[in-house]
Amino acid sequence: MKVLCARERLREGLTVVTSVIPLKSTRPAIENVCLVASDDMLELVGTDLDVAVRYRVADVKVEEPGTALIPARVAADFVRDLTGDTVRLRSKGNGEGFVIESGPDDRCELTTVDPDEYPVVARFIEEGSLPVLGAKFTRLVARTSFAAAREAGRYAMHGILTELEGDELRMIATDGRRLVLAKAPVEASAGGIQRAIVPTKGMMLFCKVIDDPTEMVRIHFGENQFGLKTSKAEVYARLIDGEFPRYSAVIPAMTQNTFEADAQALHQKLKLVANVTSADTRAVKLSIGKERITIYGRSAAMGEASASLDVIFDGKPTDIAFNPDYLIDGLKNCELQNVRFEFNEKNNPGKFTLGEDYTYVVMPITIDT
Amino acid sequence: MTDAVASAVIRVLPERVRNQIAAGEVVERPASVVKELVENALDAGARELVIDLEEGGVKLVRVSDDGCGMGPEDLQLAFLSHATSKLAEVEDLAHIGTLGFRGEALASIGSVARARVLTRRAGEQLGWTVENEGGTIGAVGAAGAPRGTTIEVRDLFYNVPARRAFLKRTATELGRCLDVLQRLALAHVGTGFIVTHDRGRVFDVEREMDLAARVRRLFGAELADALVPVAAESGPVRLAGLIAPPRFSRGDTTRQLWFLNGRPLKDRVLARCLLEAYRGFNDEKRQPVAFLSLSVPPAEVDVNVHPTKSEVRFREERRLFPFLLGALRAAVARTDMATPGGKLLVPFPRVLPGTWAGAGRAPSAGEGRPRVAELEVREGPSATPLFAAEARVAPERRPAGRVLQVAATYLVRELADGLEIVDQHALHERVTYERLKAELAAGKVEVQRELVPELVELARSEVHVLAEHLPTLERLGIDLAIFGPTTVAVHGLPSLLKRRAGPRLVRELVAALSDGEKLPGPEQLLDHVVHSMACRRSVMAGDELAPEEIESLLEAAARLPHDQTCPHGRPTRVRLSLADLERAFHRR
Repeated sequence: MKVLCARERLREGLTVVTSVIPLKSTRPAIENVCLVASDDMLELVGTDLDVAVRYRVADVKVEEPGTALIPARVAADFVRDLTGDTVRLRSKGNGEGFVIESGPDDRCELTTVDPDEYPVVARFIEEGSLPVLGAKFTRLVARTSFAAAREAGRYAMHGILTELEGDELRMIATDGRRLVLAKAPVEASAGGIQRAIVPTKGMMLFCKVIDDPTEMVRIHFGENQFGLKTSKAEVYARLIDGEFPRYSAVIPAMTQNTFEADAQALHQKLKLVANVTSADTRAVKLSIGKERITIYGRSAAMGEASASLDVIFDGKPTDIAFNPDYLIDGLKNCELQNVRFEFNEKNNPGKFTLGEDYTYVVMPITIDT
Repeated sequence: MTDAVASAVIRVLPERVRNQIAAGEVVERPASVVKELVENALDAGARELVIDLEEGGVKLVRVSDDGCGMGPEDLQLAFLSHATSKLAEVEDLAHIGTLGFRGEALASIGSVARARVLTRRAGEQLGWTVENEGGTIGAVGAAGAPRGTTIEVRDLFYNVPARRAFLKRTATELGRCLDVLQRLALAHVGTGFIVTHDRGRVFDVEREMDLAARVRRLFGAELADALVPVAAESGPVRLAGLIAPPRFSRGDTTRQLWFLNGRPLKDRVLARCLLEAYRGFNDEKRQPVAFLSLSVPPAEVDVNVHPTKSEVRFREERRLFPFLLGALRAAVARTDMATPGGKLLVPFPRVLPGTWAGAGRAPSAGEGRPRVAELEVREGPSATPLFAAEARVAPERRPAGRVLQVAATYLVRELADGLEIVDQHALHERVTYERLKAELAAGKVEVQRELVPELVELARSEVHVLAEHLPTLERLGIDLAIFGPTTVAVHGLPSLLKRRAGPRLVRELVAALSDGEKLPGPEQLLDHVVHSMACRRSVMAGDELAPEEIESLLEAAARLPHDQTCPHGRPTRVRLSLADLERAFHRR
């Protein structure tokens, strides 16, 4: 193959694709990036077998089509450090090496691997796919991904449940102690609910390839993978095969107590009080009265703190305790001036309304005395 | 097949053969003969015992006592099986106060050796004797004899070559006999023992020696000096004895002796109880050294479980256990754990002036490099300034307190009578552990509740085990619910444990609960949880500590009830007294 390309465009593409490629694998071929040059385009392909990306490099001139498998990180780093505007890619044929040149002075020759060893990476299936505004998709991910499980165990929670029902696209994430639900209207789709648990890592890649928020991207719910296509890239993520908790069952439908507080002020006060709690006694108590809420934090080793702010409260004055990190995570993402907090008992989940179609549920901490 | 043929195949064995077979249960080797004969002598009220062995007891076991002796009518029956003076009715089995009771021993021994009994009752002029050669019992005859009974057993298994072939070397058989005799000598304070082998004296203990003196005589002064007494009482149950610091623990149980109502026994349950008492202070694989005597009313214990009477069954195990554990734990905590094990101070091989042997040869690890040499202060970034700063302190203001951090891991502290080396991580771990335990015990457990309870699949039996402990677990902040016959739902965990996955914790708990059977109480569950937290939250080996940090660590440790080991049983400190140093430098 022989391709002339704009260095900046190639660099961008390699950066996206190498972010998927594993550093080491039992299948060494996938440590490489696959370059496919056809009549009018150069495509970069990378996969770690869970997530796969095809990235089309803009501004290329294909002089001779072909396929090559070259070490991904070295290629990306070399191209990044080049100074010329154009880069010439050339395979020497018969597996003899792959040359990257820029101008008359700078070149490298990389070893190649037989492209036949590369796994087959699926093409995006247009049929049954749905158009979504890019910004809408990335916003749903940003609103939810923070609550997905990170610690080991509870496999199904290591992804974001993505549901399409009628004209509503929903994303739900939970780590078992808090849960977040965000919805966005989309173009009406036919049929029943489509559902996929998309690994958080895959979601991050989807967002990375959406570089133009105004672009209409297409999403596709596959049998065991979830796909997304932009004008430049096609990404597929293998789905998590597991039982996602029934989120509707944990979001309290009826609540007896409700307060509203300035989201930013509450965030700031929580942060303030959380300073005296330690990593092991991580609880703040919200003492909610008619017009004021007082936040207490203490740790046996360090001492205690409190802070108050005005609220609008409707209910019975109560104490309820939470892990401040969970509350702060939610408040950071709050899109409203005033956050709305609803709860029943101090043992039952508290529900926060962080925005339109944006709900966050947190399980309290109970303190035995 | 005719009746005649059948009867030729199946026969009723003659009594002699029956006894030989039965002997297999009671008499395995000379040590069993020793045990049976000495126990008989003790039951006869012996105050002084002489045990003579030849060729590891194979050629001769002779036990002479000064007990009550027997009359001619007793001798007639002595070698018959199930003939005993110690038991008359079945009901007597419920309160056995003597060491032997089954009436098998002499008959069994007599059938596989050449045995002779010589006896005279106190106050009678004439003694009596009877012989039994491989089951052929002779006539009782009058003989001159000292007061008491002497039983000789010669040529064990001379008529059972198959068994004889299984006997080990003389040294091995002798070792087993001595092990039995040591146990008996320790158990029977108030009785003197003299043991000879091939006419040389092996050991003796005098009648008036108490347990400590006997341990000193048998196992040496170092162990005897380090022992800590145990004494506790609960109703009719009494525990008394001596236990050693963890450093004496061994790979085997030869120095772990339990006596139940005077009878030595190797009981699994009691052994586990002892091990449990050392938990946290001892390397888990090693057996503590302890000499413990337990008195329980005979009706409370069933000794007729095993022919060798070394295992028993307690009627009230549930009540007995916490009592034993509490008393033992308290005693373990009193033992001296700071003195290093024997191998630490190995002096340099002495090189005499004028010889060149060894000169110019650096001692290498392979040559058993003396450990003392490893105590040299390594160049650490903090070592110099710290040392300089401390050196300026006037000695009279801090008579025993100069501290030096070595390799950012060990703290070397000057003491009034020597020095000690502290493992900073181990000590801090103990401090943290005690603090966490106190915090948890104070009842402030924060429980992070689960929005989506996590389900853990377990075996049915495991779910049962957990079900019994749900309230206890809840007090610890572990809120579980039985979800089905093989499923448990985790509703809440202490927020302390947030990094720990629920299923792993539950499985660990089940393991701890099933493993210890009846032992674990809330205390141990707490320990289980707190152990790993303490480790994570303590300063590590390799952390540089400022002088103030060192000081506060040592102060905090000094306030603890136990600071001699870390929660896993590693010592926190090694102490070298001036005497140790003097020994290392051949000053004495």
